[in-house]
Amino acid sequence: MIFRGVFSMSIINRLKSLFTGEKDKEEKDISNDVSNTSDDVQVTSSQTVQDDIVSGTKTTVPRETAAEPEGDKDLTFKSDIETLEEEAPKEAPEEIVEEVEEAPKEVEKAPEEAEETSVEEAPEEVEEASEENVEEVKEDTNKKDTKRDTMTLLTDKELLTDSNRDPDFTAEFIDAGIETVKHCFQCGTCSGSCPSGRRTPYKVRQIVRKCLLGLKEEVITDDALWMCTTCYTCQERCLRSVKIVEIIKKARNIAAHAGYMAKPHKMTGVFVMNTGHGVPINDATKALRTKIGLPEIPPTTHAYPEALAEVQKICKITGFDDLIGYDEATGGLKE
Amino acid sequence: MEIAYFLGCIMNNRYPGVEKATRKLFEALDIELKDMEGASCCPAPGVFGSFDEETWATIAARNLTLAEDIGADIMTECNGCFGSLFECNHMLKESEEKKAEINANLAEIGREYKGTVEVKHFAQILRDDVGFEKLASLIEKPLDLNVAVHYGCHFLKPTATIGIEDNAENPAILDDLVEITGAKSVDYKDKMMCCGAGGGLRSRDLDVTTSFTKEKLDHMTEAGVDAIVNVCPFCHLQFDQGQVEVNEKYGTDFALPVFHLAQLYGLAMGLSAEELTFDAQRIDATPAIKKALGE
Repeated sequence: MIFRGVFSMSIINRLKSLFTGEKDKEEKDISNDVSNTSDDVQVTSSQTVQDDIVSGTKTTVPRETAAEPEGDKDLTFKSDIETLEEEAPKEAPEEIVEEVEEAPKEVEKAPEEAEETSVEEAPEEVEEASEENVEEVKEDTNKKDTKRDTMTLLTDKELLTDSNRDPDFTAEFIDAGIETVKHCFQCGTCSGSCPSGRRTPYKVRQIVRKCLLGLKEEVITDDALWMCTTCYTCQERCLRSVKIVEIIKKARNIAAHAGYMAKPHKMTGVFVMNTGHGVPINDATKALRTKIGLPEIPPTTHAYPEALAEVQKICKITGFDDLIGYDEATGGLKE
Repeated sequence: MEIAYFLGCIMNNRYPGVEKATRKLFEALDIELKDMEGASCCPAPGVFGSFDEETWATIAARNLTLAEDIGADIMTECNGCFGSLFECNHMLKESEEKKAEINANLAEIGREYKGTVEVKHFAQILRDDVGFEKLASLIEKPLDLNVAVHYGCHFLKPTATIGIEDNAENPAILDDLVEITGAKSVDYKDKMMCCGAGGGLRSRDLDVTTSFTKEKLDHMTEAGVDAIVNVCPFCHLQFDQGQVEVNEKYGTDFALPVFHLAQLYGLAMGLSAEELTFDAQRIDATPAIKKALGE
């Protein structure tokens, strides 16, 4: 069978190119495959062709089926015509209609003759018209590639340019001793390992890239930055030993200083400033402690006011009180 | 042997049974726990570490100076406290520049960080300083219990700085410590996954945290365990309080009681459920305790 021969060769070539890494050749071979497939369009069910293009795989079975059109030939070709008209490029419908008009004539003769003859003749008849289809199929493939590129920073929404970059932002990571931000080669092991990325829009690989590119606003305004639980799975698995969690924490520091802080986080800061504890004691626990023979108040800042004063002073020295908007008069947040 | 005992927040202010069990355990081990009087929050890495590194490091360094005054290494039973204190200690020992910067802050409250103590995790001390043999001698009655061990994140990781000998992807330290009590550590899917509470996520976005916890509870339940064992009061809170939140949100009926490793040892040493404050936990531990004790 001619068809089978052609497809088999293309499979071998593609396998070869996989091993040799010849990407161009592989693409060329795929184009050849597509052209072969388009040949098929004219004599077989277009549904089969669509499947092949979508899946990118080649099987010989559909072609063998296609070579036996005599059973319901008229129906088959009518459905082909309808589908082809839907699928056909706007520039090419005339040629296809012409071709379709011709092809059935050939096939109508075919049943009387040997089956193989009709199959061999059919592709020769349709060759010219099929080239138009080849162009269209190539365009379709290109469109799909463009869609896949949403994995990069080039989304449809907004094209980022040099004007979005802030070199000082990148320098903050380097200055903080996280030089490894430069080592990332974007393999995605981090995102693949990330338990938060499985359920939130948090894309750790992308954030690391944005930090290196200096896309400050992109990074600090994104709520997803706060979806990291600092579990270190990414950092442990990083092939380049990038200190990913340090990068995230540094980015959060910069975001916080730019005013991006959630109120519940500020409140934890308020608790520490008021009591020395992020989770202060309550009456229920006091009772529980007494019941089991522990001091009612643990020997922490809760029991030592002078120690609490030290913590409060630290928060003033470093400006943490202003950072979270602590109101000393009320012991809460400034509104 | 003396150890500076760092309490933190959640253990002493929510689950005092963990503190009680620890004090009893170390009494039996003849190791003196010295209170770090006036210690504060570690402080929480998810808030202070994410907001302002300088504040985080200064408060952590202040806590370190309390242990330096005592002259003993620090023990903490919370992964979060361990992460903050260990990391700060490591950073200040590595960088003279950072040390000078933080000491300038500490000078204003009359303190100085010297870098003379180590920060150790409770489980690390039990394995490396006490040893399995001595621990085994304390067990009055081996526990009959199948448990899902939850390691938590800020215990063995980041391995580049944390010196605890183990494999962070496939560790053994907690499983070994659990099995000394007679309980069996049952493997389960995605065992090393985070509980979901850390990094400030629980306070900021409870739904995401709950989703993490649901996944863990699914996998633990599939493995057919009687209880969860952890070494971090924040993970403990997340599995206890968080389990109620999972059930409310997803309409599930998870009922896995939560044990801190210290509570498991307390139980094996003969402490009562009340002394271990299981009666104050959200998920009823009575069936698991009865099974464990063969009652």
